[in-house]
Amino acid sequence: MTDAISISNAQLRFGETVALDGVSLSIRRGTCFGIVGESGSGKTTLMRAILGLQRLDHGEIRILCNPLVHSRAALKQRAGFIQPIFQDPAASLSPRSRIRTLMNEVGTVLREPHAATRERLGVILNRLGLPPGVIDKYPHEISGGQARRVAIARALLMKPSILIADEPTAGLDVSVQGDLLNLLQDIRRSDNITLVVISHNLAIVRLIAENAVVMRAGKVVEGGEIGSLFGSPQEVYTRDLLAAWPSIRAANTKR
Amino acid sequence: MAISLRNLSVDYSLQQGTAHALRGVSLEIQEGEMLGLVGESGSGKSTVALALMGLLANNAQVTSGTATIEGKNFDLTKRNATAALRGRGMAMIFQDPMLSLNPVFTIGAQLCEVLRRRAPGSDRKTRVEMAQDALAKVKLSNPARRMNQYPHELSGGMRQRVVIAMALLSEPALLIADEPTTALDVTVEAQIMREIIGLRDRIGCAVLLITHSLGLVTEYCDAISVLYAGEKLESGTVEEVQRQPGHPYTRMLFDCEVPIDRQRHADASENRFTVIAGELPDPRLRPPGCIFNSRCDVSFEDCTTINPSDYPVRNDAGHSARCLRLRTP
Ligand SMILES: Nc1ncnc2c1ncn2[C@@H]1O[C@H](COP(=O)(O)OP(=O)(O)O)[C@@H](O)[C@H]1O
Ligand SMILES: Nc1ncnc2c1ncn2[C@@H]1O[C@H](COP(=O)(O)OP(=O)(O)O)[C@@H](O)[C@H]1O
Ligand SMILES: [Mg+2]
Ligand SMILES: [Mg+2]
Repeated sequence: MTDAISISNAQLRFGETVALDGVSLSIRRGTCFGIVGESGSGKTTLMRAILGLQRLDHGEIRILCNPLVHSRAALKQRAGFIQPIFQDPAASLSPRSRIRTLMNEVGTVLREPHAATRERLGVILNRLGLPPGVIDKYPHEISGGQARRVAIARALLMKPSILIADEPTAGLDVSVQGDLLNLLQDIRRSDNITLVVISHNLAIVRLIAENAVVMRAGKVVEGGEIGSLFGSPQEVYTRDLLAAWPSIRAANTKR
Repeated sequence: MAISLRNLSVDYSLQQGTAHALRGVSLEIQEGEMLGLVGESGSGKSTVALALMGLLANNAQVTSGTATIEGKNFDLTKRNATAALRGRGMAMIFQDPMLSLNPVFTIGAQLCEVLRRRAPGSDRKTRVEMAQDALAKVKLSNPARRMNQYPHELSGGMRQRVVIAMALLSEPALLIADEPTTALDVTVEAQIMREIIGLRDRIGCAVLLITHSLGLVTEYCDAISVLYAGEKLESGTVEEVQRQPGHPYTRMLFDCEVPIDRQRHADASENRFTVIAGELPDPRLRPPGCIFNSRCDVSFEDCTTINPSDYPVRNDAGHSARCLRLRTP
């Protein structure tokens, strides 16, 4: 099976801060890959590098076997097969345009007639459980959960083969978090998408990903198949992370 | 001495209408115990804390409610009802520690100020020693150096430790912690929770832990109260409520929680997650019957018309829930 994303020895500094310190990993096509780690460990920076929004100091990133090229044309072309869902959905939705405008832009990028984009959009909105009227709203008029769905709808409209989501459930109540995760699971199954999920929620990553890496201070501390990574972690840091996780224990075994 | 809050109702006036954020909420916390107050965002958890502290926004009105703290009664409908307790009888830890810290004063100056208010007669040298000692107690590294640092020089977790040290010095009868670890990493969260427990054990105060995480509640709390759309639906010991939730909403909340050791399907894409369909009702217009009726999976005819009172669960005096299914015929 070919790799959707492969990264070798990615290095990047911001002044004194080493944001990425020799990260290497590969993500197989059609799988879900988790990136976990404490805040400041370099997860978002890695995502931005994968999207070509952030140049590396050293190292190489290949998307679907092609090396990342940093030109406007390449960036635009890449948008056709790799799509981000940023942590703050409002940041990816322009505050002054209605959601409709945002969606129409997709048609322009894909050089698709507006009518065709609109028809696909109708199907996607329906599938994400968003009311059709949502496209006439401004980003501030919708709830956090809805904003995240709109960001996903927009990403899906681009027909990507790789979806990369930064903390997709952060700030959501448990009652709606499951809905979003089920949705991502459905999309994976029906569209055979490669899904990269960045999250500090170990319990969730453990359930949706096949493989994962644990990052700390710009380095991959440990990585591998999720069952063995979480079942028998080799590194002290991974063990500490798992031990700190507040867990619902069976009521009768408590204390 | 137990802390109690009885029949708290709070309204917020909006441009259009009035939001009834809390309706008749009562809580009880035993001395030396930690009560977890849980509920979805918007359920009114912070409003409970702010009403107790007397820190509600200007458009808020307490329409009913009394509190008993250190054996004294307070009428919460009066402005500044608990002012005498702020910084002495009660202390609060917010999600954002900067709400409790002043950016222009050093850590040491702020801790000493707490002591000066608490024990006006003490001399400066004693206060500095006590402040430094408090920083050591909450395991802040290098306490002597921290005394001369400003809040912005510390990380989020370190700042939260300073706020806990401040609470420690004020020796409150009630400590309220509103999502104290939500912005922190799991490893730091565990440390901060341990410091809060440590503080409680040192001064024997009651703690109200406000959180949306049932994981934290089952791990650290003695008792739990469940808030939904401004109403308390269930309360009891963590053990009892977890073993047999009396309200369908509580059961559904527990079902939504994702344990780190949940059974995992070999094909990861087959793993599904639990959802509570529907949304919180409009706080301006309470539907008749049970407040949770529209989202309940076991509701029946009576639920649309009868607002359930508090029924004991399994004849346990300390465990009750507001569900008509608990009625005894
Ligand atoms: N644009 C930037 N300028 C300077 N430092 C940055 C920038 N972006 C990230 N950093 C730093 O790089 C490190 C990694 O950050 P980030 O990738 O956001 O971590 P994470 O997403 O894991 O929380 C942090 O120390 C952060 O402060
Ligand atoms: N200052 C305010 N003005 C108007 N409505 C408010 C104000 N503060 C809170 N609310 C409303 O009161 C309800 C309860 O809010 P809050 O106590 O913050 O809930 P929680 O802490 O459980 O998320 C929500 O519907 C919220 O929108
Ligand atoms: Mg990040
Ligand atoms: Mg709150």
